[in-house]
Amino acid sequence: MDSITTAASVIAAGLAVGLGAIGPGIGQGSAAQGAVEGIARQPEAEGKIRGTLLLSFAFMESLTIYGLVVALVLLFANPFAG
Amino acid sequence: MEPLLASSPVTSDANSRNGDGDLCSSRETSERLKLSGDLDSSENNSGDLSAEYVLLQLRIFRINLVVTAFAAVVSILFVDLNAAISLLLGACSGIIYLRLLAKNIGSLGKSSSSVGKVQLIVPAALVLVVAKVPDLHLLPSLVGFLLYKPSLIIQFLLEPYAQKKSG
Repeated sequence: MDSITTAASVIAAGLAVGLGAIGPGIGQGSAAQGAVEGIARQPEAEGKIRGTLLLSFAFMESLTIYGLVVALVLLFANPFAG
Repeated sequence: MEPLLASSPVTSDANSRNGDGDLCSSRETSERLKLSGDLDSSENNSGDLSAEYVLLQLRIFRINLVVTAFAAVVSILFVDLNAAISLLLGACSGIIYLRLLAKNIGSLGKSSSSVGKVQLIVPAALVLVVAKVPDLHLLPSLVGFLLYKPSLIIQFLLEPYAQKKSG
């Protein structure tokens, strides 16, 4: 792998993780806030709230995982490496 | 009638001011008992709620196993054995990831105020292992890892039937 491809891959990996984590991070924070407030208001609905939170977190965090996978592929299994 | 009506609140007020508190102490005791009873019932209630959450995780785990078995059979039949092994490895890491995520969500609001990121180690380790081992393929392992998504969707579609069955 030449030096330009290596540098571009490293920069792209950092951008993929960094930019990909912004949106899910904000979303997870607001979802967790809403869930904790909901549990505090209605403790009898805690099980359902936690279940819904699990579903929403699993789907939100997959966006972060996509960025992470792209970054790891660029770093360790780069398809552009000659 | 009037003096009696006027005197009774004064007497009780004076009793309470003087600390003559049989009635007050019995009230306090009953309130304490009631509070402790409420605490016990709330503990029982939270135990039921956590049991409900554990049952939900178990249902998701079972559905995930069924979906994984189906996907593995399809990949053995239509692709090859290495792809099926990669898919199974990805599915196992997906189950571990979902378990860690559920554990973190279960402790949210109790022992921690935010959801941890420990579970993100699992897909990272999966990609690293698949990149290092030449017989494993990246794409089937990622598909296997993401098999928890259809399991979650199926579980939430089937939830009304499960509630009807249990209730």
